Amino acid sequence: MDDHPFRDGAKAALPVVLGYLPVGVAFGILARKAGFNAFETGLMSLLVYAGASQFIAVEMISKGILWFPIVLTTFFVNLRHLLMSSTLSVYLKKSRIWTLGLLSAQLTDESFAVAVSDTSKILDRPFYLLGLQITSHLAWISGSVGGAFFGSVIDHRKYGLPFALPALFICLLMIQIKGRDHVGIMVMAGIFSLFFKWAFPGNWCILLATLFASVIGMVIKLKVQGSKLKNSSASALIGEGEGGGE
Amino acid sequence: MDYENLWLILGMALVTFLPRFLPVAFLSRREIPEKIKMGLEYIPVAILSAIVFPILFFDAEGAFGIQPHYLFSAMPVFGFAWKTKNLWGSVILGMLVYWGLGFVV
Repeated sequence: MDDHPFRDGAKAALPVVLGYLPVGVAFGILARKAGFNAFETGLMSLLVYAGASQFIAVEMISKGILWFPIVLTTFFVNLRHLLMSSTLSVYLKKSRIWTLGLLSAQLTDESFAVAVSDTSKILDRPFYLLGLQITSHLAWISGSVGGAFFGSVIDHRKYGLPFALPALFICLLMIQIKGRDHVGIMVMAGIFSLFFKWAFPGNWCILLATLFASVIGMVIKLKVQGSKLKNSSASALIGEGEGGGE
Repeated sequence: MDYENLWLILGMALVTFLPRFLPVAFLSRREIPEKIKMGLEYIPVAILSAIVFPILFFDAEGAFGIQPHYLFSAMPVFGFAWKTKNLWGSVILGMLVYWGLGFVV
């Protein structure tokens, strides 16, 4: 069977493209208003490629804030990628360091979520991930440059476009629910996230809620497995007169 | 071109790249303990949930409160996505409902 990982990945990116174009346009309009030209807007989308922090950056620039606080804020906003990068490491053991560098430069919430919706497709297939990410990235760049050029003509808030990415995330979340333990993690992470968002304004909620929910989930799972292991070795002792054959 | 903007962009690019790159660079070269793997397995569902729920309960300025337009658009998408697991369908349905509700809300 022919294997076209890059093309498959590019196809998988299409729903992300639909979400990125209007958001990119919105970013381009705001960047232009903050004093960026179209080239700088495109350069930022090419090199930084992180939606939330780009919006925050142009907001801070328009308020006259200097570069250092902006870079620091960007760092904290994007710390959540630590967890996504760690998750992907399981599937990319055979890739070269340069490939990993290119792939991680384009890691976003959306492409990550699409990538892990079917992990069989990314296991040792860096080109699938590359197709997915390059396609999404191109949509982000062209959206932002388009917004910077033609901003006043396009209305990115029309036709339900603001709900494209939330709907994408909801579907990707539903795809991840594979068992009762996942429902538990979803509820925990949701509640934690709302709490942290309320307690610490900004994007901290994603990192903190994910950490708390997955660590608690891990501890519970270890406990459950531990007691199961005890039970099964105990019954093996009674049944066959030999135990500990784990 | 304004050099200050260029430095700003390069600085942002660097601090964004490092947390994206370092974990995959180090962890992919090591055997990860079973316990940690178990935690990593829960990260996707946790991240997605942590992204989705604040969208439905916080406004653009970061104030807590039910967002009817988003919440009512989300409900059918949750149901449809759960049944079909179809990305395109979910995105189109979500946009249609959001657009339709725009005339009501």
